[in-house]
Amino acid sequence: MTAAKIPAELKRQVNAAVAQYPAEHKRSAALPLLHLWQEHFGFITDEGMKWIAEKLELQPINILELVTFYPMLRQKGAGKTHIRVCRTLSCAMAGGYRLMENLCEIAGIVREHDGIHNPVLVSPDGNISIEFVECLASCGTAPVCMVNDDLHENVDPNFTADLLRPQPSTLTFQPPSPHPLERRLVFKNIGRKDWTIDIDCYLRDGGYKQLKKAVTMSRVDILNEVKASALRGRGGAGFPTGVKWSFIKTDEKKPVYLICNADESEPGTFKDRYIIHQDPHQLLEGILISCYALSAHTAYIYIRGEFPEGAKILERAIEEARENNFLGENILGSKFDVEVYIHRGAGAYICGEETGLIESLEGKRAYPRIKPPYFPAVLGLYMCPTIVNNVETLCHVKHIIAMGGAEYSKLGRPGNTGTRIVCVSGDVVRPGYFEIEVGKVTMGQLIYEMAGGMKFGRQLRAVIPGGSSARVLRVDERFKIKEKQPAGSTIEREISIDEIPMDFDSLAACGSMAGSGGVIVLDDSRDMVWALNNINEFYAHESCGQCTPCREGALWMKKITDRMLLGGGVMQDPATLKTVADNIAGRTICAFGEACAWPTQSFVEKFPEDFAARATKSAPPPLPPEYTPEELITEEKIPIVPLAHNPGWEKAGASGVV
Amino acid sequence: MGVGVMAEKPQLINVQIDGVWHQFPRGTRVIEACAKVGAYVPRYCYHPKLSSPGNCRMCLIEMGLPRMGPDRKFELGADGKPVVNWMPRPQICCAQDVAEGMGVRTSSPLVEECRRGVMEFLLINHPLDCPICDQAGECRLQEFSVEYGRADSRFLENKVKKPKRVRLGSRVTLDDERCILCSRCIRFCQEIAKDDVLGFTERGGHTTLTAHPDKPLENNYSLNTVDICPVGALTSSDFRFEMRVWFLKETKSICTSCATGCNTIIGSREDVVYRQTPRENVAVNSAWMCDYGRLNFEYLTSPERLLEPEVFSVEKLQPADWKTVISHTALQLQHFSGWDIAIVASGRMTNEELWLTTRLAQYLNVSLIDIVPRKGEGDDILLSQDRNPNTNGAKLILGLQSKPGANLETIASGVAEGRIKSLVVLGEDPTKFGIPIEQLKRLPSFVVINILRSSCTAYATAVLPAATYAEKRGSMINGRGRLQRLNCAVRPPGQARQDWEILRDLLQELTGHNGLGSVEDVFRQMAESIPQFAGLSLSRIGDLGVKVMVMPEDSTTPVPPGEPVDEEIIELPPLHARK
Ligand SMILES: Cc1cc2nc3c(=O)[nH]c(=O)nc-3n(C[C@H](O)[C@H](O)[C@H](O)COP(=O)(O)O)c2cc1C
Ligand code: SF4
Ligand code: SF4
Ligand code: SF4
Ligand code: FES
Ligand code: FES
Repeated sequence: MTAAKIPAELKRQVNAAVAQYPAEHKRSAALPLLHLWQEHFGFITDEGMKWIAEKLELQPINILELVTFYPMLRQKGAGKTHIRVCRTLSCAMAGGYRLMENLCEIAGIVREHDGIHNPVLVSPDGNISIEFVECLASCGTAPVCMVNDDLHENVDPNFTADLLRPQPSTLTFQPPSPHPLERRLVFKNIGRKDWTIDIDCYLRDGGYKQLKKAVTMSRVDILNEVKASALRGRGGAGFPTGVKWSFIKTDEKKPVYLICNADESEPGTFKDRYIIHQDPHQLLEGILISCYALSAHTAYIYIRGEFPEGAKILERAIEEARENNFLGENILGSKFDVEVYIHRGAGAYICGEETGLIESLEGKRAYPRIKPPYFPAVLGLYMCPTIVNNVETLCHVKHIIAMGGAEYSKLGRPGNTGTRIVCVSGDVVRPGYFEIEVGKVTMGQLIYEMAGGMKFGRQLRAVIPGGSSARVLRVDERFKIKEKQPAGSTIEREISIDEIPMDFDSLAACGSMAGSGGVIVLDDSRDMVWALNNINEFYAHESCGQCTPCREGALWMKKITDRMLLGGGVMQDPATLKTVADNIAGRTICAFGEACAWPTQSFVEKFPEDFAARATKSAPPPLPPEYTPEELITEEKIPIVPLAHNPGWEKAGASGVV
Repeated sequence: MGVGVMAEKPQLINVQIDGVWHQFPRGTRVIEACAKVGAYVPRYCYHPKLSSPGNCRMCLIEMGLPRMGPDRKFELGADGKPVVNWMPRPQICCAQDVAEGMGVRTSSPLVEECRRGVMEFLLINHPLDCPICDQAGECRLQEFSVEYGRADSRFLENKVKKPKRVRLGSRVTLDDERCILCSRCIRFCQEIAKDDVLGFTERGGHTTLTAHPDKPLENNYSLNTVDICPVGALTSSDFRFEMRVWFLKETKSICTSCATGCNTIIGSREDVVYRQTPRENVAVNSAWMCDYGRLNFEYLTSPERLLEPEVFSVEKLQPADWKTVISHTALQLQHFSGWDIAIVASGRMTNEELWLTTRLAQYLNVSLIDIVPRKGEGDDILLSQDRNPNTNGAKLILGLQSKPGANLETIASGVAEGRIKSLVVLGEDPTKFGIPIEQLKRLPSFVVINILRSSCTAYATAVLPAATYAEKRGSMINGRGRLQRLNCAVRPPGQARQDWEILRDLLQELTGHNGLGSVEDVFRQMAESIPQFAGLSLSRIGDLGVKVMVMPEDSTTPVPPGEPVDEEIIELPPLHARK
């Protein structure tokens, strides 16, 4: 592809994309340019890689590294209609695999391989291509798939033909009236009949009033309000936002960056999507207030690649806000300049981890950084102080300014203040999102009252309370939580799963976490080995592969549960699973290590009966490869005496090793 | 990141390692501090000369920071030392510097368990093809697996398949299944060679090292990646499968292919050199060497090697024994003196050889003496434009007043006009500095001391076969004024002899005495007259050399990447602790 063949419009878009980043950090434009190229030419050719490398003064390997890291980027053409079917737990429970099979049948695609390499399958006529993707952040309306750029929810696997006909995207919403147990701040406008996403509607509703108020306040005052609110991050870790912000020195000489983490990809979580789609200006207002408070003149919204519509909505919102001088130069006459840019990811869960996100935003593989020394607040984006906050967190900032930090902190419970959006998916009658005062609703209320309870004839078996990485809770477990008494003393109380208050500290006390607020409910029809295998596949696929325990361990755990499901489970498998997970958790660069180990640790520990039932074969003799996994699956009985083998490696003097 | 100790007085930091308090200079990496006190922590991705990605997780240890009292001061224990607050999770020690009051445990049960865990992970997908692996014997995976590996395998799955025998470039071959993804090679290319050509493709357990097909690994430093690869994933296309490393004899030496004089280890067996690898010296080459220098040893076994001494008698050049050839050569030279004779020495000769050459010149009253400059393209990594390894030694010892090579024209015209009747050429080819064969043929005396036959050897009146750098002991002064030592790795082939012996015998023949029994004696004698060498002996130069000259301003020998300028190095650190 010579430069001559590149249309002027594409060139213009390329130059505009490059201009979003500091001139000395052109590399950041690598992903945007790859997106543009793929949108125009259908896939990334060798010439494309070279052209982009040259444009950004990089080496071709730098681009090849990206193209093979981010699953949305293709080196081969897709069909005219490209379908991405969600493979992850909530969708799988709702028939995602069946959806895939039916689609393949209609399209005439033989699905012999849906592994990590080249997952895009194209129909013989070239019209349709299909791939499995991981959680599309719409688990409440599972199963879902994307047809080209449009999301389709609540797809009936038996009526797949409908999908292939041109039709508008159907973003389904819950009824506008919130459940009585809800307390809506951030989701106030979500699903409202009279609500539109343009700035006029937002302004009519009192929009940008808080920004106007904020720019009259001093930065320290805003920070103090946020501190007083005791707001904890809604992205997963629950870190106090005010404390995080105070890591930025007031007299900082380097540029400060704010990054809005809109990578929402923790399975079971689907809240940021709705904020972006339904109330983009609320997010923007939150970002602008935060930028002002942090003296950050540049903010990036890192939005996951699977939200193309969301990215467009945000672009539009930014333009509208600029027209109203809410962003740009000297906003609202405050002498404060600020720019907000959209940066699209390309299908990698690890870009949600803040330092992985930063690397990705710098145009590299999303390899999380070691901390120390690379704490974002010190050495973040472009080695400058950087604050990364979740979409929902930044929306709360607006409400904190509106209410005042002290008032806000009265919502919820001490140390667990405010409201938060809880997303319920899986085996409940009415899955969906619910904004609750933190800790003011129990798990039982959430499942049985708000989400409509279990399906007919089914009983609760397990709950994953904070996104798929949270430790699973078993229905008959008893939990000990400490509770502060009005008198000031604390008492320990034993509670059932139904009684767990939905807040950070209580869920942590129950051995799990509130995480990203994604509650996945499993009923008594579920095989826990199957469920864990689905989760394991997610983590094996999403590990960035940088550090040894996670890279090797995540894939190993997935291979074990795969084999167990196929009938090749041996008696040592549950123990192996557990120790492999133990060897990952706490020993990796980023918290993905825990994220992938906790499910295995907790499922194996809490559902021993399911695992034992699938681990019945006698352990094969040591020293593989006497038995291939395929043989383990097909052989009825495994003799425990070693077969004759050719241990070539023993002769190498490494006997006794593996 | 360099381990060089800077001139300012280092501040000492107290650190508890395995229960004992030690002191380290500020800025010491924890992993280095541990090694210094004998608590070696295994590592794969960490390399002291490269950035630390912390990705292999092999160096996990227990770490703690001092507990703070309410007065924001360290709480002190019964022993008067800070009380350490141990972190619940293991930490890597390759990316952090020591901090005051820090505690480290390198061999606790948790640490051992971490290492066993990481080893198991690294081995599950590793092809155990040690019997055919080049790295066997030098493999960190083999080494640590003996200590931390599990006795049995629990891995019942299929290993991940990856490409085998990938040509990353013309000199480096990759076996992706052996690669443990430590990224050392990638970082080397980015940070040292400044040629960002390696990278990872795919992700998770399928991550694969590669180069872009259109931009292979061809830089002049590519083979260093083979050295630093902790396993046998990267191999030298040249050395591949040629020799099991444990058979190799190792000799510390220096590269003589340019003025940098990179410190090396010559690997040889039974008088054959198989490979050269860099040896760390922060003042010279950091831990690297260029491919050009590394591979420039094929001529040692060239069919053109001069193997027999020869002398012109009865109208032609004939082989003879050394004694005869030396005495005939001496006789030839005695016919002439002063301006009749010119000596062309070489910037590739050792100081000792140059010293004996000056003595020869003094005895014969020769003032026309010079060396042949050798220029090439340099870089700002290691390679010097000056391709003579000992220009500085030649200038110092031969007492050259002007630029090397300034006299060559005079010598050439002297030969052309018949004023010069005897030409002694050591290690050089006169046709290369303007004396045509026709004129050489006419010379009454043309003495050649050299390694290889050239177009003019046939017209010499005496041919004295000499030794290559790997076949002799001696010293040289590099482009930055550092005196360094060559050691004998192999014996010279045939009847070739070390040059200093040839020159000594010639001198002995001419002067009748000199009492030089060994090359050490030559150095001692030289050190008596040359102030720069005062107080030194060949053995006192040590393996890392000694700075003896101020760096000439026009030196094209670069400061090694990432290292302090040698003027600032006051104390040479010990070699990076290796197990
Ligand atoms: C593996 C992993 C994935 C994550 N994914 C997300 C994500 O999709 N969205 C998000 O907001 N935070 C995610 N996080 C948390 C971020 O690292 C970070 O803590 C968060 O964005 C901070 O924002 P907050 O303080 O507002 O919560 C993830 C963390 C890990 C370890
Ligand atoms: S823990 Fe996993 S995801 Fe995180 S850096 Fe390591 S390999 Fe990557
Ligand atoms: S080839 Fe060797 S040096 Fe390079 S990443 Fe692999 S193991 Fe490390
Ligand atoms: S830089 Fe010079 S001394 Fe070093 S290896 Fe290359 S040629 Fe030899
Ligand atoms: S959208 Fe399918 S699991 Fe989340
Ligand atoms: S040596 Fe690899 S993580 Fe420290």
